[in-house]
Amino acid sequence: MDRGLYVAMTGAKQIMQAQAVNNHNIANSSTVGFRADAVSFVSQPIYGVGYPTRVNAVASDSGTDLSSGVLQGTGRDLDVAVNGKGYIAVRGADGTEAYTRAGDLRVGPTGEVTTASGLPVLTEQGPLVVPPATNVTIGSDGTVSVLPLGLAPQAIAQTDRIKLVNPPQKDLQKGDDGLLRLKSGAKAPADPGVTLTSGVLESSNVNAAQSLINMIELQRLYDFQVKSMSSSDQNEQVAEQLMSNAS
Amino acid sequence: MNIALWSAKTGLDAQNTQMAIIANNLANANTTGYKSSRAAFQDLLYQNVRQVGAQSTQNTQYATGLTLGTGVRIVATEKDFTQGSVTQTNGSLDVSIQGRGFFQITMPDGTLAYTRDGSFALDNQGNVVTATGYPLSPAITIPQGTQSVTIGNDGVVSALSAANKSTTIGQIQLADFVNEQGLQPTGSNLLIESAASGAPQVSTPGTNGLGTMQQGALETSNVNTVTELVNMIECQRAYEMNSKAITAVDQMLDYVTTNLT
Repeated sequence: MDRGLYVAMTGAKQIMQAQAVNNHNIANSSTVGFRADAVSFVSQPIYGVGYPTRVNAVASDSGTDLSSGVLQGTGRDLDVAVNGKGYIAVRGADGTEAYTRAGDLRVGPTGEVTTASGLPVLTEQGPLVVPPATNVTIGSDGTVSVLPLGLAPQAIAQTDRIKLVNPPQKDLQKGDDGLLRLKSGAKAPADPGVTLTSGVLESSNVNAAQSLINMIELQRLYDFQVKSMSSSDQNEQVAEQLMSNAS
Repeated sequence: MNIALWSAKTGLDAQNTQMAIIANNLANANTTGYKSSRAAFQDLLYQNVRQVGAQSTQNTQYATGLTLGTGVRIVATEKDFTQGSVTQTNGSLDVSIQGRGFFQITMPDGTLAYTRDGSFALDNQGNVVTATGYPLSPAITIPQGTQSVTIGNDGVVSALSAANKSTTIGQIQLADFVNEQGLQPTGSNLLIESAASGAPQVSTPGTNGLGTMQQGALETSNVNTVTELVNMIECQRAYEMNSKAITAVDQMLDYVTTNLT
């Protein structure tokens, strides 16, 4: 059995997975607050009897690109973008606290403030709920003030404050639902230093040009792997011919 | 099934929907009282190929894992209810709402619909109706021989009779919703109440946080054509990139089939 064939096969398989990650980034180039995933390859020598000549490549997450996306003005009161570093705390579908940069918020029929995907936005005490209001304003530190329905403008009242966090990047990881959580599973403490700007949204931080270059590079790398699989195949064929001639 | 291929396919789907939304906004750039829509994108679930932090041996853990995203979807379209600009038309039955609130319209089946379009007209009975012919609620009937109709800031409608006598003939009421983005658009400039919008709160214009009436003016569409055009360019390029990604994966697979035979 030619082991080289299997090394090349592993390489091709891992490169296809990296291409999947890259395509996922491209598909999300319009998703508000999306953070691009990065992928890297780790060499995995195969130890056994004799000298370890074979090294397989294993694709692995090299984390998420947490740099900021471009800010787009929308003028809508409930659109907020986090300035610089930091995240908005939301309650994930599994009930745990998770963090996102997507600030296209909305008010539900019972007054609960959610993200566009329907996840409740959290304060330090729990989900953020606002009374029926003519106007909801989000301040730069996440303070929510509302003008209750039917009251004069001077009746504007502060309700609560959106929980904003800024845990160290190395402690964060992206879950299956695309939300960031602490690796330890704990809740990050609120950080008063994180600020919001309302009326703007943060676009996806996917760099289109870079993703396209990655795509081309991965495609060519894949070709190399396939080419070496095909070389192994030819080697085997020649060996087989030699053997059959000898007999 | 190749995840790289399907991920790019979801991107094409989403951008296609986005383009439909942009096209609808641009098509309605001159529709009275139209509120622009926008799409909310969301990343799809991630496939966990290798769990980070899993035990590699009794005493060590994998420092990195591998999660593959599966693409994107459009999770919602939301309407932007900011005020459109107001144009003067001087039509006596053209009314714009300055601020929050919706006119209530009685549908043919008796239910209520809501609109920001205040370009009213009269039917053959003298009832105030929308351009589609649906009556305003509460109904207002203009008596025969009326010289002119005046609509006050607070929605009071008065008619001037042939004998130069002014009489109040009705009161326009506005409806407000806790979550106006939850209203369901049904076409013909009408929106209907949904479970997400909450129940309507009906009041006199100018009270309870509602806007006031302005006669002889219409609220134009709040579509910002420049923004829509920029969105369209971005959408088109994103579509091209996704289609390029599909081509790339296709070529990769093609390379396998041609070289490994």
